[in-house]
Amino acid sequence: MASVALFDPCYLQTLRPGDAGDARRVLEALGDTVTLIDGRCCGQPAFNSGFRTEARTVGRQLLKAARAHSAIVTTSGSCTAMVRHYLPGLWQPPRDAAAASIAARFVDFATYVARHPALDRLGLRLPGVVVLHESCHSRRELHASAAFSAILSRIDGLEVREPAFAEECCGFGGTFAVKQPETSVEIMRAKLDALGATGARVVVSPDYSCLAHLQSGAAGLGIQLEAWTLPELLARALA
Amino acid sequence: MTGFRDRARREIAEEHRSAALLPIMRKLVADSRAMLARGPADARDRAAAARADAVDRLEELQRRLREQLALRGVGYHRAATAAEAVDIVRRLLGDARRVAKSKSMVAEEIGLTHALREAGIDVLETDIGEYIVDLEGRGPSHITAPAVHLNRARIRDLLARAGAPLETDDPVVLSQHIRDVVGRYFQDCDAAITGANTAIASSGRFAIVENEGNVALGVSHPRKHIIVTGLEKVVADEAGALAILQVLAPSATAQPLTAFTHILGSPPPGQERHVVVVDNGRSRILADPRYRDVLRCIRCGACMNACPVYRAVSGLAYGSPYMGPIGAVISPLLWPRGGQADLPFASTLCGACTEACPVGIPLHRMLLDLRADAVERGAVAGRAERAAWKAWAAAFSLPTGARAAAAMARLGLRGGGRLVRPLAARGADPRLLPEPAEPHDPALLAAAGPDRSERPVIAPEEVLPPTPVERFRLRAGQLGVGFPAAAPASALELSAAAAVASTGSVLLTGAPVDRRALLAAPAVALRVDPATVVEYPAGLEPYLGADDALILTGPSRTADIEKVIVRGIHGSQEYAVLLEPPIA
Repeated sequence: MASVALFDPCYLQTLRPGDAGDARRVLEALGDTVTLIDGRCCGQPAFNSGFRTEARTVGRQLLKAARAHSAIVTTSGSCTAMVRHYLPGLWQPPRDAAAASIAARFVDFATYVARHPALDRLGLRLPGVVVLHESCHSRRELHASAAFSAILSRIDGLEVREPAFAEECCGFGGTFAVKQPETSVEIMRAKLDALGATGARVVVSPDYSCLAHLQSGAAGLGIQLEAWTLPELLARALA
Repeated sequence: MTGFRDRARREIAEEHRSAALLPIMRKLVADSRAMLARGPADARDRAAAARADAVDRLEELQRRLREQLALRGVGYHRAATAAEAVDIVRRLLGDARRVAKSKSMVAEEIGLTHALREAGIDVLETDIGEYIVDLEGRGPSHITAPAVHLNRARIRDLLARAGAPLETDDPVVLSQHIRDVVGRYFQDCDAAITGANTAIASSGRFAIVENEGNVALGVSHPRKHIIVTGLEKVVADEAGALAILQVLAPSATAQPLTAFTHILGSPPPGQERHVVVVDNGRSRILADPRYRDVLRCIRCGACMNACPVYRAVSGLAYGSPYMGPIGAVISPLLWPRGGQADLPFASTLCGACTEACPVGIPLHRMLLDLRADAVERGAVAGRAERAAWKAWAAAFSLPTGARAAAAMARLGLRGGGRLVRPLAARGADPRLLPEPAEPHDPALLAAAGPDRSERPVIAPEEVLPPTPVERFRLRAGQLGVGFPAAAPASALELSAAAAVASTGSVLLTGAPVDRRALLAAPAVALRVDPATVVEYPAGLEPYLGADDALILTGPSRTADIEKVIVRGIHGSQEYAVLLEPPIA
């Protein structure tokens, strides 16, 4: 079937090294041939911190690695939004057009899988309950909410719960979580309360950045809540 | 120098602010959404278009406004800076010694109350929320609900310390006490100062919204009324003003319209009226294409209501008269050397602000641009952080970047974060980063308990009556307006020029409308011809006349204390509508 690149974002590679393997398994089950892009970063941490020169330096390497591919599936909504919406703007015209043409080929994992023609033939089964946390970038920058829900609804035996105030931020915000820890934690507490109230013990998100933050909060506060990425959940549902 | 983080930490620790603010703001956001949905489907687009047009033609519209105001005998004064604005107001006040001031964000911005008091002038804040935060002395914590950070017990305590011990902390009692103080002051003061929500260039009128009636008393001051307004708050015409009004109250306070919407025409006989148009950096913002659209802002506060950071820390943490996402954008633009360069970093960039903004300001994108500006100017980020980002960029640029980058990222995530933040936070931060590759436990999938989420109650969709006049009756009734067969005894009877179905509003026109008589009446009876009922506020345009107008939407009210609605502040609670001819 299709030949795609799989971009394993830097922080996932660091914090959740198995995730790229899970994503690859899902894509291969859909019949795709997968080329891995790793060791690269979209530049978002620097960009969000106001360091645009550094963000461009780093983003350029990612675009170079992506140049030869017609679709670059990215297992993080936030990184996808960065590449699609902000990275090309770091170059002056006319160079921004070249960057934009590569950036437009980046697609978040949820959207790619939801639109995949072979999805219907994929048998997915995983009994249990999860609560979903959709990241703000996935929801508001990529409008991938429907894709995310559509995929989860295809998993046999899986009950998907939605938390109250689902549209509220988890308090991560990239370097915000480090630079404004008190505020970040205050926001996180409200999100953990809402997730916990659903009774689910596994939270699934298209963004591991939110999840790492929530997971670290849950661990520190002694709340039983495990954060799973969408590729991990789907890979388990394949088995 | 204290920054956002120190102030935020203090607010969070001191009173555990978000425990109180979060539910208030969650409800407000849900109610605002429902109220906007009651209006026309294109309300936000039309408001955005009216504001975008005004920003595009700002100086042209200001010229036109000035010409029109001259015809009405209203003085027009342009102030380049805050200091100049204060000087102009002082000069215009002349020998006035007692001044009644209504809520105005631009007055906060230029420090007007403080400056006038320094000059020996007695200034009373006549908005209930402003009166309270004036007693507290820390400034407003929200654009439209200045005292939302204070609970009723604290407010009662502030009043007691100011020499007014009250029996209870019931918001009705507290609000009525302040109402009475303000009412007495209005009987014996030399001048009134108000803000304006928009100045209408084509006709030289001002639209001012309020709920309590103190603005009604101010604009009808028998001798002197001074309007202080920002340069950007002009709009081309009545259609534009109505487009803004259609989204302003729903976005700000989840009301269909505020109790009073003044469309000020010519001043009442004997009154001297002036407007002070404050630039104070707005021309500079206008000249920067990245930020000029922030001048669309109508100061509704929807961005802060939706903002997770605002909800957690309250407005006082921003250290600026403008708080929340809009404050984080305009504070550093208005005061480039004012030490507010860190405010754009006080955001998770979740985009809830941009989504909530009824006039289409891309707030979170502006925050990103402002962050880059601050770094470039050297206003934020020390040498260590700058070196760290350089090293990070170098690591990710290596041809075989994978391992080096992963090591860097790991170091950054685990250690870097802890290095850059002061040690004081360590104990307070409960987060523990998970071990990489920690195996997940599939058994947890089956370990779920019952769903005990407390979700907001969504009201079932209303079935609306088929005719505009019946819909008007429903909406007005919901605001506490009665529909008796005959006017109540001793009621002031007035004939309405039109009414609005979707908001339950009644339009009065006159030359001018006698606001003081309206507020003094023990009851008010409004005659409405069913043939003049329009669907939405925008439909009022042909009925607005050429001079003074007042849109009444239910009796006066306040929600300045814990967002509890108290009806009947200045003026009667008893509003009746007489449909003439009556409907079958």
